[in-house]
Amino acid sequence: MKLRKFIQTIPMKIYVLLLAIVLFAFFSNDFGLVDIQKTAIILAAGIDKTENGFSLTAQIAVPKGSDRTTGGTSSVEIEAEGETVSDCISLIFSKTGWVPKLVFCDLIVLGEDAVKEDVIAYLNYFLRNEYMPDSCLLAVCEGKANELIASKSAIDDASSLAIEKLFSDAAVKSGKVVTNTLKDFAIGYYGVSGSGYLPFIRMTDQQGEQSDSSSGGGSGGSGGGDGGEMQKIYSAEETAIFQNGKMVGLLPREQTLAFSLLQGNVFTGTFNAEEDGKPVTLTVVRNKGGVSLNVKEAPMAELSLEVTVRLCCRGITAPIEDIASDRISGEIAASAKAALDGYVEGLWRTCKESGCDLFNLNRMLYRSSLKKYSVWKDSLLRSAKAKIETNVKSMK
Amino acid sequence: MKNITGSLKESTDALKKLLPAEDILTFSFSSAEGLAFTVVFADAITNKEVLGDQVIRPLMHYEGKPAAEEIGKCIVSPELRTEKELEKLSREVLAGNPVLLWEGMDEAVIVGTKLVFVRAISEPSTDVAVKGPREGFIEDVKINTSLVRRRLKTGELRIEMIEVGRRSKTVVALCYLDGTSVKRNVEEIKRKLNKIDIDIVPDSSYLTHFLASRPYSLVKQVGTTEKPDIFCAKIAEGRVGLIVDGSPIALTAPYLLIEDFQSSEDYFVPPYRATFTRLLRLFALLVAIYLPAFYVAAQLFKLQLFPIKLLLTISGSIRDIPFSPSLEMLLVLLVLEVLNEASIRMPKYVGMALSVVGALVLGETAVSAGFVSTPAIIIIAFSGIGLYAVPNLIEQTSVLRLVMLLVAGSVGTYGIILVTAFVILYLVTTENMGVPLIAPFSPMVGRDLRDSLVKYNLGSLQKRPGTLKSPNKRRLR
Amino acid sequence: MTKIGRRQIYFFLACIAPVGKLVFLPAQLADVAKNDLLFPAAMQYLIQTAAVFCVLLLAKRGMNFFELLANTFGKIAARVLITVYAAFLFFAALLPLLEQKLFVQSVFYDTLPSLVAFAPFFLFTAYLCSKPLASYGRTWDILGPLAIVGFAGILAFSFGSADFAALLPVGAVGFGGIWKSAVSAFSWFFDAALLLPLLGKFDYEKGMAWKGALFYLAGGAAVLLFLAVFYGIFQETAVNQLFAFSTTSKYFSGITMLGRIDYIFIFTLGLVMAFYVTLPLQGGIECLLLAYGRKKYLPTALGVAVSAAFLTTVLLLDYRFGDVLKAITGAAAWIFPVFASALPALMLLLRRERRETA
Repeated sequence: MKLRKFIQTIPMKIYVLLLAIVLFAFFSNDFGLVDIQKTAIILAAGIDKTENGFSLTAQIAVPKGSDRTTGGTSSVEIEAEGETVSDCISLIFSKTGWVPKLVFCDLIVLGEDAVKEDVIAYLNYFLRNEYMPDSCLLAVCEGKANELIASKSAIDDASSLAIEKLFSDAAVKSGKVVTNTLKDFAIGYYGVSGSGYLPFIRMTDQQGEQSDSSSGGGSGGSGGGDGGEMQKIYSAEETAIFQNGKMVGLLPREQTLAFSLLQGNVFTGTFNAEEDGKPVTLTVVRNKGGVSLNVKEAPMAELSLEVTVRLCCRGITAPIEDIASDRISGEIAASAKAALDGYVEGLWRTCKESGCDLFNLNRMLYRSSLKKYSVWKDSLLRSAKAKIETNVKSMK
Repeated sequence: MKNITGSLKESTDALKKLLPAEDILTFSFSSAEGLAFTVVFADAITNKEVLGDQVIRPLMHYEGKPAAEEIGKCIVSPELRTEKELEKLSREVLAGNPVLLWEGMDEAVIVGTKLVFVRAISEPSTDVAVKGPREGFIEDVKINTSLVRRRLKTGELRIEMIEVGRRSKTVVALCYLDGTSVKRNVEEIKRKLNKIDIDIVPDSSYLTHFLASRPYSLVKQVGTTEKPDIFCAKIAEGRVGLIVDGSPIALTAPYLLIEDFQSSEDYFVPPYRATFTRLLRLFALLVAIYLPAFYVAAQLFKLQLFPIKLLLTISGSIRDIPFSPSLEMLLVLLVLEVLNEASIRMPKYVGMALSVVGALVLGETAVSAGFVSTPAIIIIAFSGIGLYAVPNLIEQTSVLRLVMLLVAGSVGTYGIILVTAFVILYLVTTENMGVPLIAPFSPMVGRDLRDSLVKYNLGSLQKRPGTLKSPNKRRLR
Repeated sequence: MTKIGRRQIYFFLACIAPVGKLVFLPAQLADVAKNDLLFPAAMQYLIQTAAVFCVLLLAKRGMNFFELLANTFGKIAARVLITVYAAFLFFAALLPLLEQKLFVQSVFYDTLPSLVAFAPFFLFTAYLCSKPLASYGRTWDILGPLAIVGFAGILAFSFGSADFAALLPVGAVGFGGIWKSAVSAFSWFFDAALLLPLLGKFDYEKGMAWKGALFYLAGGAAVLLFLAVFYGIFQETAVNQLFAFSTTSKYFSGITMLGRIDYIFIFTLGLVMAFYVTLPLQGGIECLLLAYGRKKYLPTALGVAVSAAFLTTVLLLDYRFGDVLKAITGAAAWIFPVFASALPALMLLLRRERRETA
């Protein structure tokens, strides 16, 4: 009888025990986990090569507090050096006491020195880290990434947020900039083409402006705000191209545009042609582009491009009837075609010379014919010739 | 059982012995022919005026034999009964019905002159409808059954009176539609009611404990309503209803969880609107239960649940808060519960002041003082409002919300998922009277889904819910 | 609540069973088969569909698992066989449990949590195992639609990011590679084995075996679609994506604006998965109960004991997952087709007529 009563009350005892455990866990609140108040939310990371290994600069978001009256994001930049990226992250932890969390890291910038070697050595930490979003943007910068990340932006509180604006959807559609994520760069690297591209960021001084010492992240680390530091503006119109993880070339802005046009991404992007020796700006309102590979006897890359444009700006005085019209003349169309042909040819030449399979010709061949791929895989880019077809149409 | 004897004195004394209370009065008088009568009645609950007019005055002129049948004819009352057993007579006296005794009687006469104090029929505050009937049950079982009878004018409506409670002798009206309700359910409820051996039954909620298959269950297993239209609709679907004397809340069984997501108004508005509001209620309920928990779990264990800009705002707000996110939320939740409890119990004029104190002093000042953060107040306020979207489940959902919060603060997001899994398992395995609690979702009954979270047009609801297994399947021809 | 509905069985086959194939399996398939990962998966599905068909045919005989065995081999031999089968189910539970643990650590937390965070799962398994197996049918009614919503949401968020051309060229790894990959995937395909303890708990209807097989294939088709999307998104890096269904949806453009709303679907599937991974445990316990009798507190006691044993095992194997995975997908992989595919087929040869003494 007693035993039965005991057994009947077991569920209730278990509930009480569970409640006690949950309450204990709740109030002790510590499974070695890191809550929001102990966390360094890394917005961006800059990686440079140093003599001893790596230097990593993390831009950490700093909350403005409950009494804040203005919007925006404060940040502080912390730099750490180590033999591996992981070393650097650990060092940041020990320097700040905040546990660095990469879950919101949306930008990784590689310094110019870093990309001279296989960048996967720098990036594999991020690829391995399951808490790191591989959808983060990847870019290369002129000079040191540390300086870029720690710089004072003229247009945003944090440099990384200003740089991310360069990579907005609108910017990509303009054809002025190409973007790439960690995941897509890794796919290119580990794919049969072994190639990739990243936007190349340059930083220039904002003339006539100086930051005040209170803006941005405050003190600490290398990026502390010195009074009088020049505010910076950034551009990413050039594109760094990679083969087997090393930067092998740099596409100027025209070739970057050509690359975007070939991908068929451009909408409302502009480029210049000539009319009577004077510049005319055309706006792309429709863009079809494609790269295909034809391997019958010798490999032939077919780069085809079709753009529908409207007149945006003419360098000559014009009557009002002319301004009201978007159409382009045959002369302008011919000039535009010549310009685009030149951009695409330049792009093809850069790729061939650098050995970068930017158009993933190897991948195309691999996917279409394993047999032909095994024949051409080592010499495809070298042997391939390009057939460039551009077609410029006027908006009717 | 002792019976009355022919002696008036003996019988009166015996009855008084059973009812020694001071408010049990006797009144003795004689007829014109000298026949002695005594009326035993309970003061305050017997209508003395009616007693005098309908019973005593006619009997003063009585000239017949001392037989119950003859005497009954002389009394001007539509509600007369005769009884021999002293025990039963004493119960009638306590119910407010006077007992008439006389010299040489073989049976006593019970006169139905009960004095009933009832409040007016009004709209129940817990179940307000913008459209549709506004009548609500009151505390009197007879008036309540009359409200039911008025809506179901059919001989199939059976109302059986059962007494429950050793001392309170509370009358429980068991209502069902013969041929529509499942007989086994009616019998089971009767059996359960007759088995109850409790002192008093002050309210219908006492009975729910005895009718439930899992008495300690977190979720309720008997439906409740204060509105006769809903009560009748449920009976018409094949359920069994219970109206308890002294309680304005009627019970219905078997109960389905989905009932509490349905409002009477849903049947008076277009079906798309009804569907929208039902889904909204579910959403509000889920928000009420999960929002504080996920908010805490996100801060402690999974920052990615916030978009970055929201995270930075929250991070800024809580920077100077002296408590951990989980403790902060628990405190705010407890304050809300205390305020809620106090504002319900307090007199209305104090309640108003309390609302001001709660909203302004505890809310705004606590934020300014840095005790709690603004987002925490917003989250709890949103959760608190959501809870009232399904008012019949407040007791259950507020407990669940607290459990979720405690688990979220200790184990995190995964804890919330696990508790949800527990709850699902618990719900799917709970049955009452052989009817699964969360039907028609589990087990899935396709036809019944038409009046679940989704509400079809009335024309599509031709059959009664299959879950209830009513023998009379068709309700619309 | 003594019987499982036929619809509930179909829900399991079409909606619940596929969830177990969406975590480690895609990366495992991509490891060897690379862009041909659909073929080993399809092979496995065909084999397992045949096994499911066989089990549902066995249901026609109206006997439970133990009765079927005892009817031919006698009670003692049946007890031995069914105990071995329970051991297999417990063994089969190991991989999904470890998978679930790592999935939880990765997806539900921002930083690696302590093991204690996963321990409450075993409270759930203990509670679940104490419930009658037939209650599973009711949960499938809830979980089936949830799985559909979760899966459809994830797929909708992922579809636009996939480059299906990445699945070309067909047959790049050759038959050898596909076969090797299929063998390594055996450990994830034992759904027919989960149905065996359910025999006798649902009533056979005409054509149920065909319907069940079709529903299972429909679930398989959904898994193949997911695998295609998965490989289309990650391509050569697919092998690195261990928690497949939690990774594909994050590239959806709306996420930049709204935050990780895809977690709604990921958590929904996580909830379904929590039930799925306990099935082998409950199946094993049911086998033991069938063989040795269902005493009043025995299911609860077994549930607690098995959960405690697995909690200990998971704790012990915490840092040896690689070795465990290697063993289960390597040499031990052959255990799965024997018990989950061959055995249901062989059971069709058992005596059909009910013996008096059985």
